Amino acid sequence: MAVQSDVMDAAGPYDRAKALSAFKLGDTTFYWVTRASAISVLLILGGIIISLIVGAWPAIREYGLSFLWTQRWAPSADPPVLGALGPIYGTLVTSFIAMLIAIPVGIGIAIFLTELCPQWARRPIGIAVELLAGIPSIIYGMWGFFVLGPFLADSFQPFMIRLFDGVPILGTIFAGPPSYLSLFNASLILAIMVLPFITAISVDVFKTVPPVLKEAAYGVGCTTWEVVRYVVIPYTRVGVIGGIMLALGRALGETMAVTFIIGNAFRITGSIFSPGTTISAAIASEFAESDGLHQSGLILLGLLLFFLTFIVLACARLMLQRLELKAGK
Amino acid sequence: MNDLSVSLSSAASLPPHANLPEAPAKVTARNLNFYYGENHALKDINLTLGTNRVTAFIGPSGCGKSTLLRIFNRMYDLYPGQRATGQLMLDNTNILDPRLDLNLLRARVGMVFQKPTPFPMTIYENIAFGIRLYEKISKSEMDGRVEKALRGGALWNEVKDKLNASGLSLSGGQQQRLCIARTVAVRPEVILFDEPCSALDPISTAKIEELIQELAEDYTIAIVTHNMQQAARVSDKTAFMYLGELIEFDDTNKIFTSPSDRRTQDYITGRFG
Repeated sequence: MAVQSDVMDAAGPYDRAKALSAFKLGDTTFYWVTRASAISVLLILGGIIISLIVGAWPAIREYGLSFLWTQRWAPSADPPVLGALGPIYGTLVTSFIAMLIAIPVGIGIAIFLTELCPQWARRPIGIAVELLAGIPSIIYGMWGFFVLGPFLADSFQPFMIRLFDGVPILGTIFAGPPSYLSLFNASLILAIMVLPFITAISVDVFKTVPPVLKEAAYGVGCTTWEVVRYVVIPYTRVGVIGGIMLALGRALGETMAVTFIIGNAFRITGSIFSPGTTISAAIASEFAESDGLHQSGLILLGLLLFFLTFIVLACARLMLQRLELKAGK
Repeated sequence: MNDLSVSLSSAASLPPHANLPEAPAKVTARNLNFYYGENHALKDINLTLGTNRVTAFIGPSGCGKSTLLRIFNRMYDLYPGQRATGQLMLDNTNILDPRLDLNLLRARVGMVFQKPTPFPMTIYENIAFGIRLYEKISKSEMDGRVEKALRGGALWNEVKDKLNASGLSLSGGQQQRLCIARTVAVRPEVILFDEPCSALDPISTAKIEELIQELAEDYTIAIVTHNMQQAARVSDKTAFMYLGELIEFDDTNKIFTSPSDRRTQDYITGRFG
């Protein structure tokens, strides 16, 4: 022991402290840089909310809560009448239908890629799905406008309309006439656009399932479907839902492609084959030539979208917590 | 020669079923070969697992013990490029038959892994899950089966008040016994243990060894272990493997007291491996 402390003294505790102090400076700097970065996010978020509220204030004062359930949107009337019901309805419906299509397909692709696909086909399919995410949204819009819209209006929509003609509820949802520009077309484009998010994230989290856990499930005699249904998905539930939420966030806010093909009609009809609008599409198509109360109304729409996204994310968190409680964690 | 007698004296005093009669064959391997792609991992294995007997597989790392075990329930089928040749019979079924229903095979040949692998669900569901794959039974019947399986896994008393807790909330040793209970619940004929205690503390290990011996009354058991005392304690027969070959296969007593092969002797006395 004595020998050791002698050695320490010989090396000089002073030197060591000095050497360490150099690190300390770096450490402090690092701490403040990272802290500042984190705080800047809060500042930016706060700034956006405040400026939205300030911009929307005239409209809030003019219309109050009735803004939420007024269907009429007549900015050039005197005085202008503005109601957000149409865009809110359109946003929710298109996102809902898009998720209805994209979730099963996206997760299905992920399951196929990780559990069933022969090795040689994995990369090509995986890359194709990732490329889907890389296509700019305006191209989806043009494709939807020139190719998908006419195709749907000429074949799929008439088929569905004929199929459900006279059926209660469904007959209203799939009511004619077929249209190049409709809520359904926008939903389909949205589904294709958010598909890669769901697939890519699901593939990543499916890969984190320990092989031995899957072997154990196969070991009690599970089929591949049962392994996926009862082991892989429960094990990766949180990650998969995270991917779905990311996709939903994207679907709610997607602007360009939707503006192209949704038709920009503020009137609400029961049919998903009729034109409609979403919050972001309404803002995109009208903001450039708006002023005064009209512009303020559009900013208020933006604020609503902000809250809508926030509420959706909060609900997702809540659902996740409930799921975890149910699984007994 | 000295250290041989020293290390074996403890092992020799322990074997449980010193003078059991030859058991009827449950699993029989004839000229079994296994390949990982080009790599010839198992060479001409010939052996027999006796019904209701415990057979231990020992040998240095990479000798093919686990590989052999994974052929018994065709687990290797999950991975491309792995193949087996020769003959492997479970009673009158050829395990290597490509047309064999793998789910059925794996229901007959259960497996417990090195690390505990509880499924991400409740304790109750971990057991009921496997049963439900094969049988449609009522809730009360299922409760009975779950309890029986958990008792079979020597876990019932520890978990009976928290069957709805997650399987992941248990300790490592408890998780492993849950996995054994889960395997037993499906009523297999053969249970494969792939180093079941290597991730566990000594007390959990002792519990599981005891359990293995109890299970041998109803099941045919194969266990891979790196722990030679464990092989000596729990098994009736021991197979020593080295570099993909089955060097010696005999009564556990014989292997640990008077092995006939030089390499077996060197291994169990700790000269290599």
